[in-house]
Amino acid sequence: MIEATSLTKRYGDRPAVQDVTFTCAPGTVTGFLGPNGAGKSTTLKMLCGLARPTSGHSTVLGRPYAELPNPGRHVGVLIDASAAHEGRRGRETLAVSAALLGVADPRVDELLELVDLDAGAARKRVGQYSLGMRQRLGIANALLGDPQLLILDEPANGLDPVGMRWIRGLLRDFASRGGTVLLSSHLLHEVEAIADRLVIIADGRIVAQGTPQELLDGHARARVRSADDQVLRRALRQHSIEVTDTDDGALLADASTEAVSDVALGAGVAVRELRAAGDDLEQLFFQLTENGARESRAMDQPAPPLLTTDTTLQEVKR
Amino acid sequence: MSALAASTTYQIPTDERRPAFGRLTRIELRKMLDTRSGLWFSAAVAAVTLITVIITALVKGGHDATLHRLFNNSVEPAAILLPVLGVLLVCGEWSQHTTLTTFTLVPDRNRILLAKLAASIVVAFAAFGICLACSVVVGELLPAPSGAGSLSFAVLAQGLLFLAATMMIGVAFGAAIMLSAPALVIYLALPTAWDALSSTIHPLKTLSHWLAIGPTLGPLATHSFSATDWAHAGTTLALWLAVPLIIGVWRFARRDIN
Repeated sequence: MIEATSLTKRYGDRPAVQDVTFTCAPGTVTGFLGPNGAGKSTTLKMLCGLARPTSGHSTVLGRPYAELPNPGRHVGVLIDASAAHEGRRGRETLAVSAALLGVADPRVDELLELVDLDAGAARKRVGQYSLGMRQRLGIANALLGDPQLLILDEPANGLDPVGMRWIRGLLRDFASRGGTVLLSSHLLHEVEAIADRLVIIADGRIVAQGTPQELLDGHARARVRSADDQVLRRALRQHSIEVTDTDDGALLADASTEAVSDVALGAGVAVRELRAAGDDLEQLFFQLTENGARESRAMDQPAPPLLTTDTTLQEVKR
Repeated sequence: MSALAASTTYQIPTDERRPAFGRLTRIELRKMLDTRSGLWFSAAVAAVTLITVIITALVKGGHDATLHRLFNNSVEPAAILLPVLGVLLVCGEWSQHTTLTTFTLVPDRNRILLAKLAASIVVAFAAFGICLACSVVVGELLPAPSGAGSLSFAVLAQGLLFLAATMMIGVAFGAAIMLSAPALVIYLALPTAWDALSSTIHPLKTLSHWLAIGPTLGPLATHSFSATDWAHAGTTLALWLAVPLIIGVWRFARRDIN
């Protein structure tokens, strides 16, 4: 169980995270999604007591993180896979954490096996590890204390497709046994396959959260052709539904097909074609993060560099 | 992952304890030795100590190479190198980003800093043992009368204090400054600059009897201290150990992890 309430972090005047509120329930995987620089890592660090919120607070398993007596026994954290001493051997890195947690040494070998780091890799110094190997070592480190809750920042980063499938299975399995998972990513396709809920952040603010279906429902759009588009357009706007024209002469309404059909009936316009449009999570993700970024650019002067968001979105599109 | 409890009823055991302080200290010691750089550095301190004792014995020879002098000289290199180890003990965590793991497992950062200080004292004991062993063994191996004479308990205890104090000064500088290179430069340059200044500016000269590390702490391994000597050493420790440590405690606990 994770509860974040109005978490806010400012560096000087620059807001990094603003009023972030969400909860993660046991038995679920929550995807924390947003472009690079949107405030995901800062939020996760505040949850783990690594950064002090300017205001707001958070609890894990019902307590502020720093008040857990032996946090590693309950919460597995992976914030940055490269945050291991370059000159320390892989196995020793885990063994130090195990000693700190008070976990028996054989558990280290169990986890090395679980994350598929063989004896040769375990003997190597972390400086010689690839990003994928570091990621596996970091995941092993997070799982050492047999936690109930996992907080992972971009865990799929650097993993190959096989590794990504492996971690998906691992997290799914973890949640199905009652564990809580919060994982961040800037890539929708990495999380949409396993996340029960999505929390989408752009420029430090939560722009949407819910199950993928809820998100799509909340942002439903309908494509409609009618006997009299002019009348229908006016009727829709009277119901505060945004309408735009498509290239091929149809109307695109920011509402569900049900709502559009009700309005059309009320206006006495015969509908020729009506279907849901934009039930595409990726499209929605772009729309949300772009709007979120634009709004907060308009609100906070001076404007943050456009580059951060835009390059990430291009990355996502690839 | 054997025992995930039923999700909604998950409770943190009410009798759960924090990792004991002894365990934290042992782990800090382990972290000092289990990296390539840490191991080599420690080995280098031991080797330089042995070489210093041998050189002292060869250069002085005969009646001048008393056990007292061998021990006195053996402490010098450790007193220079241990503060470096102390600085790295703190700054290494930040530069290698291991603070991410350390602080998520032990959120109370003051306990980590305290464990590092405790580990420094253990290291000082070990260095002291090496200094004493090198002095005695080299003294025994040399033809008499080299290595003759005795060591007073006061000089031994003061030698140990000297090593512990210098190592802890390194930890304090590391905690206050947090970046190894600036911390080392400032630790090494400030006292030297002070010495240089005080030799040219007269009023500072009197002050340096009270505040300069070299003149006030250096003789700890040389002779049994008088009350005045202790007063001088005390004021020096207040300036070079207590002040950076207070700044360090404050900064170490507050810094955000990036």
